[in-house]
Amino acid sequence: MNDADVDAERPNGKPILEAAGVVKRFGGIRAVNGATLDVREGSITALIGPNGAGKTTFFNVVTGFYRPDGGRAAFQGDQILGARPHAIARLGMVRTFQITKALARMPVIDNMTLAAPDQPGERLLNVIAHPRRVRRREAEVREQAIELLEVFDLARVADDYAGTLSGGQRKLLELARALMTRPRLLLLDEPMAGINPTLGRRLLDHMQRLRADEGVSFLFIEHDMGVVMNHSDRVIVMAEGRVIADGEPHEVRTDQAVIDAYLGSGTVVEDERA
Amino acid sequence: MPAHDPSVILPLGLTLNFFTDTGFWSGVGVLAGIYALVALGLQLNVGYTGMTNFGAAGFMAVGAYAMAILVLKAGFSFWLSLPVAMLIAIGFGLLVGLPSLRLRADYFAIATIALAETVRIIAQNADSLTGGNQGLFCAEGGAGACYNDAWTNLSTTIEGWLQSLGWTNPESLAPLLIVVWLFVVGATLGLRFIQKSPWGRVLRAIREDEDAAEALGKHTFVYKLQSLAIAAAIGAFAGFFLALDLATVHPLDYEPLVTFFAYGVLVLGGLASYWGVLAGAVLFWTILEGTRFIGFGLDDTQIAALRFFIVGLALIVLMVFRPQGMFGKREEMVLGE
Repeated sequence: MNDADVDAERPNGKPILEAAGVVKRFGGIRAVNGATLDVREGSITALIGPNGAGKTTFFNVVTGFYRPDGGRAAFQGDQILGARPHAIARLGMVRTFQITKALARMPVIDNMTLAAPDQPGERLLNVIAHPRRVRRREAEVREQAIELLEVFDLARVADDYAGTLSGGQRKLLELARALMTRPRLLLLDEPMAGINPTLGRRLLDHMQRLRADEGVSFLFIEHDMGVVMNHSDRVIVMAEGRVIADGEPHEVRTDQAVIDAYLGSGTVVEDERA
Repeated sequence: MPAHDPSVILPLGLTLNFFTDTGFWSGVGVLAGIYALVALGLQLNVGYTGMTNFGAAGFMAVGAYAMAILVLKAGFSFWLSLPVAMLIAIGFGLLVGLPSLRLRADYFAIATIALAETVRIIAQNADSLTGGNQGLFCAEGGAGACYNDAWTNLSTTIEGWLQSLGWTNPESLAPLLIVVWLFVVGATLGLRFIQKSPWGRVLRAIREDEDAAEALGKHTFVYKLQSLAIAAAIGAFAGFFLALDLATVHPLDYEPLVTFFAYGVLVLGGLASYWGVLAGAVLFWTILEGTRFIGFGLDDTQIAALRFFIVGLALIVLMVFRPQGMFGKREEMVLGE
């Protein structure tokens, strides 16, 4: 058992993402209204809540896509609130989008190789001055990309335009592409939506494996309570722009505020592991 | 009957001799080459970075004016003025890029056209620097040195080489034609080389979805600035060549129409293809200039109007039968929607 496994067994490790009092206003509406939450290192944390609770807006603020109107957020100790998205992504906190952003007029393989970090050939000077270094890195990157595409059953379509993929395949491509960046924390916005259950299970298995093998942490927005209760070790609940509960799945499930705001009293969640 | 006999009348009132008028076609070839350069820069911006840049005429104007002013007013040699003017045009390209940080596609397009027009209107009014509506050509009202003296000498030398190669009486525009198209081919090969690199891949990602590229750690603003800077450098050379071709630098030669013609070239050739730009430029200027010789018994102003009508018709026919342009990829066009 390696260190990452120990972390997985002990989900109260140190926080990798700490957000405090995050505010985002649109006109008079406070979409995120003082959200405070921690994502623990090595955890698979679910972010749930009713529509309009501010979950996606929170993602957009902490990943730099929206300018914050207040609050603080630190990733691995670095202050990130207000930084540009690319800078935050390079620190190792990478997000996917609710509406997939497959780069349609690029082949699947280029979607993947694009995401790899440390490609000297992304600087024009190196393209001209160090073509060998660029080619060598490109070969490595391509190999990693094919491996990952195989995991997500996309290797067969590697040379097709990403725009020809089905909705579910695009979701998987976006996740695989995010993984190419070698992230420390992945923010997934409804990763299961629109993909078939078999692939969904595969995706969840892969998340578990990444956490175990490489210590990657996850924060994911999800509406399927079965997935949330059985596949996450922390659950954070948002409503009306604030965090109203934070705890292990069984704690959150029985929390009266959560039941009132989101789950409803009639909700029965089967425990698959039972 | 020999083919060059001017008495041969073709249908539509065309005469055969214009096909064999090498002087005329050299002029068309130079213009096609200049517009190919402008459109190569646009291809980089529009076709590969997804930036709707309508400021191409501004890049040319800044390049041409900077060159002429450096030579005539600052005493630079012609050859030194070229790289310096190119750097000034790059600076202008970066200025054009600044609004792209905040503006989305259509607003950015308006900002670029405004900046290009600003350059032209300043040129029209800053008489002491730019000669205003007189334009720039030679110092001291035509008596002194001209900005293109060094080129005229080189052109004569090249004519000599052509003669020694067996062309007994080369056209006076032949040297410019050759140099322009050497630049066009060089720029095409260079652009294709960098486009195939990981750098070029980031540009295409920005074209597809800028947010996705940012989310993957790409500093998209820097890439967009680079795209514009390269287009500006190429556009500056198009401006130099236009200044040599026309032997004057005049504000009327840098109207937005220049940019729109370059877009015509781009559409004919097809998006996301550098070779397409070359084919598009040749076709565009062949149609536009070839139609000068249509007879129909029309007077000159009617023919002038008819020529643009024919160019428009050609574009419409193309859009109907080959909407992706001559070299564009149909799949890319369909998937882009």
